[in-house]
This record gives sequence, C-alpha cells and structure tokens, in this order.
Amino acid sequence: MRRNGIPALIFHGLFVVFMLAPLLIVCVVAFTPEGYLSLPTRGPSLRWFRAIFDYPEFIRAFRDSLWLAALSSTIAIGLAVPAALAIARYRFPGREAITALFMSPLMVPHVVLGIAFLRFFTQIGISGTFVGLVLSHIIVVIPFALRLVLAASYGIDRRIEHAAISLGAGTATVFRRVTLPLILPGVVSGWLLAAINSFDEVTMTVFIASPATVTLPVRMFLYIQDNIDPLIAAVSACLIAMTAILLFALDRLFGLDRLFVGSGKG
Amino acid sequence: MSHLVLDGLTKRFGGFTAVDAMNLSVERGEFISLLGPSGCGKTTTLQMIAGFVEVDDGGIRLDGADLVSVAPNKRGLGIVFQSYALFPHMTVAENIAFGLEMRDVPRADRDQRTREAMELVGLKGFADRYPRRMSGGQQQRVALARALVIKPALLLLDEPLSNLDAKLREEMQGELRQIQRSIGTTTILVTHDQHEAMALSDRIVLMNHGRIEQIGAPHEVYDRPASAFVASFLGKTNVLAATGDGQGAVTIGGLALALPGAGKGPLQLAVRPERLTFAQAGEPGLEARITGRIFQGAHWQFSADSAAGVLCLMRGNNGEAVPAEGETVRLRFSAADAAILPAGAAA
Repeated sequence: MRRNGIPALIFHGLFVVFMLAPLLIVCVVAFTPEGYLSLPTRGPSLRWFRAIFDYPEFIRAFRDSLWLAALSSTIAIGLAVPAALAIARYRFPGREAITALFMSPLMVPHVVLGIAFLRFFTQIGISGTFVGLVLSHIIVVIPFALRLVLAASYGIDRRIEHAAISLGAGTATVFRRVTLPLILPGVVSGWLLAAINSFDEVTMTVFIASPATVTLPVRMFLYIQDNIDPLIAAVSACLIAMTAILLFALDRLFGLDRLFVGSGKG
Repeated sequence: MSHLVLDGLTKRFGGFTAVDAMNLSVERGEFISLLGPSGCGKTTTLQMIAGFVEVDDGGIRLDGADLVSVAPNKRGLGIVFQSYALFPHMTVAENIAFGLEMRDVPRADRDQRTREAMELVGLKGFADRYPRRMSGGQQQRVALARALVIKPALLLLDEPLSNLDAKLREEMQGELRQIQRSIGTTTILVTHDQHEAMALSDRIVLMNHGRIEQIGAPHEVYDRPASAFVASFLGKTNVLAATGDGQGAVTIGGLALALPGAGKGPLQLAVRPERLTFAQAGEPGLEARITGRIFQGAHWQFSADSAAGVLCLMRGNNGEAVPAEGETVRLRFSAADAAILPAGAAA
C-alpha cells in the first residue's frame, strides 16, 4: 500500500478532528459543575445528568422517540422488502414510477413535508396524534429502508431460490428459509438507518408534534429556545453514548462493514 | 412406454421462438445430453422441464402423466446449476438435508440419508463446512448430493461443470458418469461442450435455433452427422467438393469412389480429419500439398491444399515417416467414412 505524504496526513488529521471535535466537546461540557455552557475546569460533576431526571418530559420524550423510531422503521421495512424484491426482479409498467415515489421523500424538503402533513392530518382528523406521527415518519424513512434492501436484493442469484423450489419448498418457505436470510444484511442495515433517521427527525416533526406527542429532538429544540444551560449537553452526551454502544454491539453481531458497505459478501 | 416424453414442446419469447416443436423420448436410466451453441434453446428446454419457464405449446409427460400442470416444487426433480446455487447461509449437511426437510422426513432418517449422499459424492467429513469455505469442485459435489438425496425422478444438470478448470472437469465427468450409472437416475445434461456430451451421454440431442438437428449415440452422431451443422459443431470436419454421376460414383479431384446414394452433379462430402490417410504408392488418391504440420504428442495434425478444398488431417504418431511442409502427397479415404451432406447446406 502507498503511504500518505505529510500534507495528506495533516489533511486527514484535520478532517477527523473536524468530524469528532463537536461530539467530544459536547460530552466534556456535559460534565461541567457550572450553571452555563463551559468546560469543567473545576473538576467533573454529574450535576446536569442528575438534572435530567428533574425533567420527566425529557424521559417521556425519549421513550416516545424510541417507540416512534421502532414502529415507523419496522413498518417501513415491511413495505420496503416486497417493493425491493419486485423492483429488483421484474420489469413491469410503473416500475420506475414506484421507485421514484418511494425515493421522493429524500428530495422534498422536510419543512414542506411538515406543513403538508399538518394540513392533511388536520383535514382527516388525526392531527397531533401518535398515529399521525408514525405515518409521517414511515414516509420520511422509507427511502433509507428501500435503498439498502434493494442493494441486497440485486445481488441474489435467483437460481438459489430455484434450487429451493425444485427441492420442494413452497413460496412462503422459499422466502423464509432462503430469500430473507440472503437479504438480511440489507434488511438490518435498512431498518437501522430508518430508525436513526426517525429518531433524529426534527424539521418536519416540529410542525406535527403536539404537546402530547413530543419527540426527544423536538423537546430539546423547544428547551434551548428558553434556556441555554448544560442540561442539553448532558442529554446529548447520553445519546452519543447510547449510539456508540449500539454500533459496537451491531459490529460484534453482524460486522458494520458487512451491513453498510458490502451486502453479505462475508 | 418412455420415461420422459417431450411432445411438440414450444417456447416463444415475443417474436423469437426459443424452442420449436421439440419431440424427444427418454428411456428410464438414460443419460441424455442437450448439446448446442448458446441460444439454441437447450437451457430453455431444461427450464421448461423444471417448471421455471412456462410452456407455450406442446406437452411434457413423465411416466405417462402430464408434468406441465404440476407446480415446480411438486415435480420432485433434482437440479444442479452451473453457479452451484448452494444456500450460502447453511452448512453442507443443512444444504443436502433441505429437500428431505421439505418432505418431512423424520430426523434420524434424514441424517442417515444425508450422510449416505455425502459419501456418494466423496464429501465425508464436510458436514459442518459452509459453502464459501469450499472449492468450486467441492461445491459442485454438494449441489449434486443435494439434488440426488431426494431420489429425484429426473436429474437435470445445467452446465454443471463449466465453472471448473479443465483437469477438475475431466475428473468430475468420470465421477458423474459413475455415480449416475450406480444409482440409475434418468439424467438430462445441458452443455455447449461437445467433449463433455460425448464423454458422458448415452445419447446426444444436437440442437440449433430451437430445433433438434440430430439424436443419436455419441459415436453415431460423430460418424454420421445428419447435417452440415452437426458435422461442423461436433469435432473438426472436412467438407469436400465432389461430383456425382448419378449412378453411385463420385469423383473428388482425381479420386473416384463408389458411394451408393449419391446424386448427380456437385455435392458435398464430410470426412473426419482422422479418417483421411496418405495413399500408398500406386493407389489412387486426391492430390494435395502439405501447407502446415503441427506435432501434438500423440498425433500429427496436417493442413493440406487440394482441388476439393483446404483439408485437415490427423495422423497418429506411430513412428511412421511423415511428409514435410511443402511436399505433395495423395490423400484417400474409404467410402464408409464419407457422409453426404444435404444439398445446399453450407458448413
């Protein structure tokens, strides 16, 4: 392998710092004992982590966000798997249109989606409900689910399924025993990306969340409009820690490179 | 009654007829090869038997019963694909046992039969391996065991050895033939490799443009090609321009031969390179000039220019003196070694 020169190393170094520094600073600031955003120069303190528990709305928003992410990404994957298999295998009228439709939430600005959903949900009477939130999140995360399942579906040798059929397997058995295991890396990574995007979504959710259904990012957004204190850094630090643990666990279970880079070559 | 009957089997893709009214009867235990260039319809035929391609016209009967109306997963056929098509997420034993599992064979019986199938193909001790940790030849054996363990009515082989290197392919050919003989399963092999077809089959079905050109035992098809296509597709052949006198005699350059059945006027004869010999002094022959000579160990290969066209000769390396390049020789062949090609057919 060719080694990097000094300028390249400096560039890569700066790039990594630029990526990681904000995350690192937030985590450090979360340990400050002061009442304002600052580095913990007088020694670390858990004061702001304890403060989280004085705000039950943060805990509730976190729980709602988890539910929302889990539900919307699971339903999105449920829609994406049959869609991806059909798109990957068959040439049918409307194939391009369906692909474009499923991908369109990526192109439409989330502000526009937010306003559109607000109006639409009011019209059909589910404005401010959890159901409305789930529906809108399914639409926003489906491109991620579809893209990754599609990538995995294109790589399948159909003769593997033919072999299973010739050995006596019916349609449902072929899907359960052969097709699904083959596209599993795409399904897991698609679900994960969908869940992360749902958990993270704020631009659209701000428009459709009601006081009864506030997600964690929206709650944080509302909080910093009134107060700027290290509580928000403590919440962020918790999220970063949880993400890191989740990614580590996934890497151990499946291998991250297998999930996101090559689909199932291992 | 024949075991498998294809009756006017036809498949069209849009305006293109891939398989055109194909008729074929296969006896129980036979090893049949569908041989032909790519696009000749051989794979489509196999896929129709397997049920992965719908039949447009005609029928398929297995032991007298209609097969077309049977769902592909109920046909009970064993199939081996060129790409092996093993289940990558299952071990060798799980791959082989899959068909038995689908048939609800009890656990103990299943294990026993899986073990036997692995022994049959020489994979003892590989039970817990995953396919990706095996060589191409070993994967092909797993695929064969997986197809055979369900005791299929028919074994369908779709270019099974094409992905293997030459040496391994030859080894597997011998083994495949021996396994097929020992269990007696009726087998249909699709291949574009004439050597494979000749080495393995009881009968070869030569196909071109969706039609059967000729059916016969390998040596019959090779020695008595029914058309210029068969003559040129199977091995090397010389097509000689000849003239018939309408009374059973033909002249090829300076060589006169008695060839009953030959018509009057210009005609074409097919003669295999190994059936052309050098005429002894005093014998009549076709005058030719040696233009090339290649030594291939077991035999010599010559090319020669003659009045009947450019010819190729194959002579065994049996210690006799051979002519040099540029030398003029006289060539002959016996009437029994010449096949008259239908008029108008070009090789």
